[in-house]
Amino acid sequence: MFLDSGDIQSITLTIKLAVIVTLILLVVGTPIAWWLARSKSRLKGVFGAVVAMPLVLPPSVLGFYLLLAMGPNGPVGHLTRVLGIGALPFTFWGLVLASVFYSLPFMVQPLQNAFESIGDRPLEVAATLGASPLDAFFTVALPLARPGFLTASILTFAHTVGEFGVVLMIGGNIPGVSRVASVQIYDHVEALEYAQAHRMAAVMLVFSFLVLLALYAWRPGALKMARRD
Amino acid sequence: MNLSMNVRKSFGAFNLSADISVSGERVGIFGASGSGKSTLVSMLAGFLKPDNGEIVLDGECLFSSSKRISIRPEQRRIAMVFQQHSLFSHLNVKHNLLYGFKRCRPDLRRIDFDALVQVLNLEEQLDREVANLSGGEKQRVALGRAILANPRLLLMDEPLSALDDSLRFQIIPYLKSVSEHFGIPYLFISHSLIEMRLMTDSALVFEKGLMVEQVSSEQLARNRMGQSQVGYINLLRLGRPLPSAGLFAYPWGAGQLLLSAGSERDDSLAELSSKDIILFKQHPEAISARNLLQCSVRSLFNSGRKVGVELECDGNSLIAEVVQDAVDELKITPGSTIFAAIKASAFRMLPS
Repeated sequence: MFLDSGDIQSITLTIKLAVIVTLILLVVGTPIAWWLARSKSRLKGVFGAVVAMPLVLPPSVLGFYLLLAMGPNGPVGHLTRVLGIGALPFTFWGLVLASVFYSLPFMVQPLQNAFESIGDRPLEVAATLGASPLDAFFTVALPLARPGFLTASILTFAHTVGEFGVVLMIGGNIPGVSRVASVQIYDHVEALEYAQAHRMAAVMLVFSFLVLLALYAWRPGALKMARRD
Repeated sequence: MNLSMNVRKSFGAFNLSADISVSGERVGIFGASGSGKSTLVSMLAGFLKPDNGEIVLDGECLFSSSKRISIRPEQRRIAMVFQQHSLFSHLNVKHNLLYGFKRCRPDLRRIDFDALVQVLNLEEQLDREVANLSGGEKQRVALGRAILANPRLLLMDEPLSALDDSLRFQIIPYLKSVSEHFGIPYLFISHSLIEMRLMTDSALVFEKGLMVEQVSSEQLARNRMGQSQVGYINLLRLGRPLPSAGLFAYPWGAGQLLLSAGSERDDSLAELSSKDIILFKQHPEAISARNLLQCSVRSLFNSGRKVGVELECDGNSLIAEVVQDAVDELKITPGSTIFAAIKASAFRMLPS
């Protein structure tokens, strides 16, 4: 076999994590991006900076604070205990929550750019044609921002697949629960299993290339936008 | 339409103060860039809130700072056509046209989709993507979309300024259909005198954020003749031309006009600038211009540094423009007889 069962399990877990995180961020990130694109509030700069923090923070720093927040004495940990969910650290859903925070800018910023590029005029036109703001959002803004959604989804998915630091801090290294592909490669290297590490790394390399190729094929300008983000 | 606006708005150093009371079906707002006309229209459409004041349309208060009323744009039933067509690029022509129609209350729908498509000559375009349309087609779709929303008022904010000259005059008849075919009153915003003449009956003139004049479009053209590069535009309604060697001979009052370009239609509209009419005190012996009309002077009026001479020629009216020295030299006075020479190529046919 090219990959052993542990490798396949970690790849399956990684894809599951990336799909769930991308879907959650589509729902959570869209209103945030819309607000950042349209708001004239003075707090816009503050919120924009908070959203962009994972771009510049070392993953271990973000992971550390998330671990504290999810811990028994943290606000998230307290909430999950009250709700009867239990502790999140070292669980799959803890990993999901951490990844949502970590990948937030990769969803929000391309969407914010897409919404900003639409401008006011199409929404004003929709209003003079009888569309409420919500109606105009769904029938004009969302369709016009479609390329931005595709870019944001691909970048978020790919970024989640490639996570390592935050995953290790929050999820640890539990097979089938939190051992994602990047951690599996790390394990192989630690165990001096270079051939297996190489095969996993090659899979990740091809995957990353295919994602970027798809992005290029869909929209030649998408990477430029991603770099700007 | 009965519109009353008493509003104030400030942006930094720019202050708009408008106190308007206007009624009519074809009203213009005229002014140079930065005069405040687009700001006024944005406040009427509801995109921009006045700092204070009141807007009342057909008896309904749309905005009142004192009564704390501000009707949302989508509830005002005021549609708008912009300088840029602003079509929805993700929808084809048909779905663009139907966007406002679908959102209009069924009991308020009085414009028939098929009739509109026919009037705007869009039958062949319905399934096309808007990106593939020409500039003129896009503007017709934008106009149709606004009409189908069944508004009680249509705002046209410089809808022709993004088009080139030939396309501009092709679109004007479609714009005029708004009131002529569909009975929708409109406010037409422009800085072009010829557009004002063709599209409106009366005009509100704005300068530096203030309304300085409320006049008929005809009077506006006379008042601005002296400052305008194109002068006063005479509009001549012409019938079917008679056969003539190399030229188009149009019966005009008791006489005829020879034009170098024309159409075989029964009803044509031609424009002639006041600058293209040369006046003679006496009948010239020989002249290259193909039209020499004996006219009587009806009146004189001043416009900037120019003098407008209103002529009566073969039962029709024409306005020529001269300088004061020419008036004195030719002794042009009301009631005097004068000869007007016009080249056949000076006329321009407008689409009817």
